[in-house]
Amino acid sequence: MTDMVIQTKGLYKLYKKRAAVEDLNLEIARGDIYGFLGPNGAGKTTTIRMLLGLIQPTRGSIHLFGKDLKKEKMDILRRTGSLVEYPSYYGHLTAIENLETIRRITGGPKARIAEVLDIVSLTKEAKRPVKGYSLGMKQRLGIAAALLNHPELLILDEPTNGLDPSGIQEIRELIKQMPRQFGITVLVSSHLLSEVELMADKVGIIREGRLVYQDTITNLTAAASSGFRLSVSEPEAALMHALELGCSGVLNRGMMELGAMSDAKVALLVKRLVEHQHAVYRVEEKRRSLEDIFMQIVGEGNRI
Amino acid sequence: MMLRALSADWMKIRGKGIWFLTALGPIGLVAMQGLNFGLRYDYLMNQYADDPWGGLLHNIANFVPIALFLGITLISSLMANVEHQLSSWKQLLALPISRTAVFSAKFVQAFLLLTVSCILLSAGTAVLGLLLGMSPQEIPYVDLARVGFAPMLAAIPLLAIQLWMSMTLKNQGLPVGIGITASVVSVFTYQFPNWMPLKWPVLAYVGPGEVKVVGAGLCLGLVISLMGLIHFNRRDVN
Repeated sequence: MTDMVIQTKGLYKLYKKRAAVEDLNLEIARGDIYGFLGPNGAGKTTTIRMLLGLIQPTRGSIHLFGKDLKKEKMDILRRTGSLVEYPSYYGHLTAIENLETIRRITGGPKARIAEVLDIVSLTKEAKRPVKGYSLGMKQRLGIAAALLNHPELLILDEPTNGLDPSGIQEIRELIKQMPRQFGITVLVSSHLLSEVELMADKVGIIREGRLVYQDTITNLTAAASSGFRLSVSEPEAALMHALELGCSGVLNRGMMELGAMSDAKVALLVKRLVEHQHAVYRVEEKRRSLEDIFMQIVGEGNRI
Repeated sequence: MMLRALSADWMKIRGKGIWFLTALGPIGLVAMQGLNFGLRYDYLMNQYADDPWGGLLHNIANFVPIALFLGITLISSLMANVEHQLSSWKQLLALPISRTAVFSAKFVQAFLLLTVSCILLSAGTAVLGLLLGMSPQEIPYVDLARVGFAPMLAAIPLLAIQLWMSMTLKNQGLPVGIGITASVVSVFTYQFPNWMPLKWPVLAYVGPGEVKVVGAGLCLGLVISLMGLIHFNRRDVN
């Protein structure tokens, strides 16, 4: 597990004895797009600020690129680009000048400014003062700023917050191309699962400061399955086959309703039915939406 | 690293009225004395017949502390506000640069801006004196330099406090309020005991113990800056 780009162990942040982040263990591997999910106020931004060294953890350790943030902060920050919450910019300066203020600090060639503006397609607007930009453009400028120093890790906090659908899509496409085109690992936070689902490989869900779920999006999708419905020529006989295979199920209006099962098992059942001369008309997966699952994970323990 | 931050800082204050303020202070002071001497030319030239340059410098020096305190307050607040306005601290401090470098760069920038003000004040006073027909042979170069720089160096403790407060508090009401109070109080400082730092800008020019006072200003300024720096390094950035 040496190729973890971000690894936190037992991370705590207390504000006046109230824990904003509690025993957080994040694991983000190189090349991942990691979706960091949670409702507002769950501790996403606090966590991200700790990862960037903006606020001090009360307890616990943070390792980025396998290095201790406390000891090698400068080296870590040199390899990291970030956009924390709403974008920061100097409104009276143009996009080019804004990026120049950062370039003067991080070093690097001036040509890089044109490159990153091109990546976020702001080249045409680059010479206007930023205060006249739309929110989407400001957000893209924020991403350009994060990319300026050729980061290996991009930390984006709610990059699509407050954007319209086309703005959201633009940002999403931008984020999706990062690992592919530039080999950048991305941590992106959001309070909308539907949004993260479309770009992330792996998700972490945080609720009241605690990480309640951390796995691949594929596994989360698998958990969304709540069973199958099969429409066959002879349901009663077919159900016997299913029960023999160890599925749980019942008949309902001439359809077999089966519990959740693995892909392999579905395949086996269908094969068996076909071998026994059943006609299989339809195999439907009954799915809860990811949003339901998210609400369930987030809401657990909150129910009265 | 500090120089890099400083170079970025010069860009950030473009068009923010900070340069305007830097020039306005000394030019305003000189213009005010221009008016004073212009309106009462015969009376004042008669009163300062022995030493017209000294008379002019005396009149300028009376207003240097209040202008200096106001300038320090406003420059610190405006500079910090460039970062506060759109919460740029979080972006700036997430860059690979130490907080010490960021803090020092702001301090050096404020100091250099004040230096420009002081040079303008010294030069402006000389020009005014010549315009008033004072003798070019008798230009008191040393005193002209002193009227600009001695009070400024003695006021560094205030600069350190103002910059510290302005940079760490998002609400600029408190630092600006304190700074303006200090400026108003500075008018009455001749009644204060000599150990009061608010009196130092006056003492640094008229004495007694000019050199010692400047030294004390630098030392106290350094101590306060270090305290501010330690705090700035540790604080959480939200």
